[in-house]
Amino acid sequence: MPNWNRLQKNSFLECSARERAVGLVDDGTFVELGGPFDRLVSPHLVALGEAVENDDGIVTGVGRIGDRPVFVISQEGRFIGGSVGEVGGAKMVGIIDMAIDFHDRLVADHPDLPASARPLVAISFETGGVRLHEANAGLLAHAEVMDALQRARHKVPVVALIGSRIGCFGGMGFVAAATDAIIMSEFGRLGLTGPEVIEQEMGKDEFDASNRALVYRTTGGRHKYVMGDANFLVDDTVAAFRAQLAELCKLPVASFEPMRRIGSPELVEKQLRGVALAVELKPTDARDVWRHAGNNDPVGLADGPLSDFRKSVRRLAL
Amino acid sequence: MSLETIEFKVAGDGRAVSLARRAHCGVVGSGDLEVMLEPKAGDSAVSVRIVTPVTGFDALWKRVVEHFVAETGLAGLSIEINDNNASPAIVALRLRQALAEAQA
Repeated sequence: MPNWNRLQKNSFLECSARERAVGLVDDGTFVELGGPFDRLVSPHLVALGEAVENDDGIVTGVGRIGDRPVFVISQEGRFIGGSVGEVGGAKMVGIIDMAIDFHDRLVADHPDLPASARPLVAISFETGGVRLHEANAGLLAHAEVMDALQRARHKVPVVALIGSRIGCFGGMGFVAAATDAIIMSEFGRLGLTGPEVIEQEMGKDEFDASNRALVYRTTGGRHKYVMGDANFLVDDTVAAFRAQLAELCKLPVASFEPMRRIGSPELVEKQLRGVALAVELKPTDARDVWRHAGNNDPVGLADGPLSDFRKSVRRLAL
Repeated sequence: MSLETIEFKVAGDGRAVSLARRAHCGVVGSGDLEVMLEPKAGDSAVSVRIVTPVTGFDALWKRVVEHFVAETGLAGLSIEINDNNASPAIVALRLRQALAEAQA
């Protein structure tokens, strides 16, 4: 087990899934459920003769932040790109459902339980989305996680944390968008189709995936924060992600509703205003949108220190 | 194209160093592997189970694990490895890392 105090200062970007899971909750409280010793191996990979891993690339478990039980899902990008297949998806659903069941029982027994003692789910994404080896089983796993998020809604807040190497792409980009709140670092990346895939399908003229500045100003944390796709932009340390999560742990579930991106007629209206703006503005680069949001020097803003960015950035109002 | 499972036992050299608790380390990324060490009761031998997509290296696997057991004097445990093309040096490193974690 990694040393918790040392872990707090570490770069979130460089942490393994297990380190993130341990570091996000209070010292010594994380208990892994469905861990490697339970040997939940993907049968599809075995059938294909592909290397397997005993946790299938996802760490699941429960810990505490203060009085709040925090159910944790943490994806490991180094195992097949953090891809989600049948077993990994089932582990995610199992933990979310466990949080919901626990919530229902707690509230039935203690109707006056304060928000700060009710369960919350934290998902640390590091994934390219569906595990293509597992075909429909992988796609179905994504749908089941989305269903679980719907069941959790208005009961158990689900918080996404995005700041790991692979980012959060593919079907899991949809899943992240369906959570209640998103915390990112500037190195976090969020999207549906990853830069390499766009380049491969549409050509280098459309998107140059080797242009890191372009990739970050299109999918990175700063851009997502301007666009309203991320609710919070934090420093790249375990402690910073944890501090923001701990702030959210104080809030009742109703406070998460205004942080959402999808799930109500008002939010659909807002999305449509975004589409209309795109038609009107015809942006050719993320900088055009930043400028429209009221940022006169988008280049300087993108290149400056994060603390200055947070102080002076104007976010897109729709 | 299938996964190869290699199973064997190593007797040890009689020093019988036992494992304090179980340990897990590593990620089955490209060129790396996952190691699990678990104490077991009733048998002083070291049971080894290796799952790998690479065939034809049984003798090498055996030498690497035998060297690890001889070096540490371990007895009465099981070693499980999920491999993805790791080199013997990486295997030896991960085994020592898992042991360090089990004894930390």
